[in-house]
Amino acid sequence: MKTLLIAIFLIIAPVFAVHAQQDSRIQMSTLDHLASKASQTVDVNIDERLMRLASRVFDDKDEDEREVKKLVANLKGVYVKSFEFEAEGQYTAADIEPIRTQLRGPGWTRLVNVTSKKKGMLEVYLLFNGDVVGGLAVLHTDDKELTVVNIVGPVDVDKLAKLEGQLGIPDLGIGSPKNKKNDDEK
Amino acid sequence: MNDDYLWDKSGEPDPQIQQLEQILGTLRYQPKPLALPQRRNYFPLLAIAASLLLALLAGGIWLRVRSRNEAPPQQARVETPTPKPTEAPKPPELRSALNPPLSAPKRIHKPRSASSVLPAREREEALMAKQQLMLALRLTTEKLHLVHTRTQPNQIKNQHRVG
Repeated sequence: MKTLLIAIFLIIAPVFAVHAQQDSRIQMSTLDHLASKASQTVDVNIDERLMRLASRVFDDKDEDEREVKKLVANLKGVYVKSFEFEAEGQYTAADIEPIRTQLRGPGWTRLVNVTSKKKGMLEVYLLFNGDVVGGLAVLHTDDKELTVVNIVGPVDVDKLAKLEGQLGIPDLGIGSPKNKKNDDEK
Repeated sequence: MNDDYLWDKSGEPDPQIQQLEQILGTLRYQPKPLALPQRRNYFPLLAIAASLLLALLAGGIWLRVRSRNEAPPQQARVETPTPKPTEAPKPPELRSALNPPLSAPKRIHKPRSASSVLPAREREEALMAKQQLMLALRLTTEKLHLVHTRTQPNQIKNQHRVG
């Protein structure tokens, strides 16, 4: 009987461990209904398989791409939902509550919270598995914008922040008002 | 002398025969339960095997259900509704993540030596995934940069006060 219990524990323990590691995935499907109200929507869903696939087409000779490849090497997924609205009040606090509830869960720590009456609220959350960062979430709520970013897996936030301006993709005009202003001036 | 005692124990017993009976009687058959060699208990092993099988089965079902339940869109969608007549029309290329403008660095679409191993369809999927990944990372870094710029003035103010 003792052997049986030990065997069951040994079988179940890794399953729970794997499940615990996957807790950094935030369910964002509750925000989907906002797409119809938004003037612009960004919806990115990259799971582990796509992540592995994408990392195969990074150019190792290119320094920037090499850095990005290194950064995403151990990630399990990247999920983004971003909505921009033409008018204010297109979403309510209740729409974001399911996200906040998940971020209040065990393991998640709010690293930064910047609140401004004019520029809205910007929060950065990290999920810790012991001492290791197991996930990142960024929540940006503005009068006319709602963005949720969720990176699943061990992410190096410092390296990620340093990538600013190195990513070789076109500027979509999403993000900080400052950037938008600069784009308009151009 | 009657020999019936030897046949059916009737008649007068012979003391010699009785003595022999006593001596040999110790060797007579005595019923006792059959002692078979004890069988090995396979229950724990069977239980472990069954648990493993169940765990594998459950894992398989869970993975299948999970992959089914996962949102099917595996590509970035940047949607912009049709511009209103009063608005100045914006070129759609600027807003499309999947069709970056010509000003975008060409290295994204450049064929890679590693990717050349991939079949055409997979390579296309990989390139698409890479673009989405870059878009997501860009958005993330923009937000982190925004956090940095918004927290920086406070730090400077505080430093000023300390100084």
